[in-house]
Amino acid sequence: MARCVIFNDFRVLFDAFARLFVEHYYRTFHSNPHALGGLYLDYSMLTIEGENIQGAAAIAAKLTSHPFQLCAHAISTVDCQPSGHPGGVLVFVSGSLQLGGEQHPRKFSQMFHLIPTPQGSFYVLNDIFRLNYAQVY
Amino acid sequence: MDPDAVAKAFVEHYYRTFDSNRQALGGLYQDGSMLTFEGDKIQGAAAIVAKLTSLPFQQCAHAISTVDCQPSGPPGGVLVFVSGSLQLGGEQHSLKFSQMFHLIPTPQGSFYVLNDIFRLNYA
Repeated sequence: MARCVIFNDFRVLFDAFARLFVEHYYRTFHSNPHALGGLYLDYSMLTIEGENIQGAAAIAAKLTSHPFQLCAHAISTVDCQPSGHPGGVLVFVSGSLQLGGEQHPRKFSQMFHLIPTPQGSFYVLNDIFRLNYAQVY
Repeated sequence: MDPDAVAKAFVEHYYRTFDSNRQALGGLYQDGSMLTFEGDKIQGAAAIVAKLTSLPFQQCAHAISTVDCQPSGPPGGVLVFVSGSLQLGGEQHSLKFSQMFHLIPTPQGSFYVLNDIFRLNYA
């Protein structure tokens, strides 16, 4: 459904874009994780719980492997800023995720650096993911 | 320069300065720098320092759990992703947080913070 809206503030556009990306990313993760590879390129980088992975193929393989199969995300916060790279956007997400086979959801934080493609969409250049472990008193 | 070394040195310096003398953080930002702090958007070194020094606590101690980094694309840029906890003076329990920085090299051979996003991680 198309809506015509006039934005006074470009920050509103950035925020809307970031939200759209996040929704698309986590929906794809849950419903069709093999399609995630299409969001990365050969020099994209993923750091997931301290492990560094480079390139769309290796990243897609990681994200479709245990324990990330059957994974459902719930997003709490989305923050974004322009990154200084032409048209680049930094997106910072926090939320919780239910890993397959686990009883309780875990909290996580993740950041993406999105770069525009000549075709008018975006790819993920940088992706860093960390689980946020519960405090033990 | 090695991004890991840059990230480690920056993180140590940033949180040591934050915990001892927040006013001095201004030197790490420039006019185009952006901070999003718990959803509040602030731009420019002066406004950022004003925000950080106006936070409602006197004493703060950060404990860093993880530091991840990657080169960001623009020549020499480094993305730094931090998680840890912070203890405010007089509070019984510490708060967990995540923060990301985008560091850009200066002509003088150091780095400044172009992007800074901070979020508490609530239980």
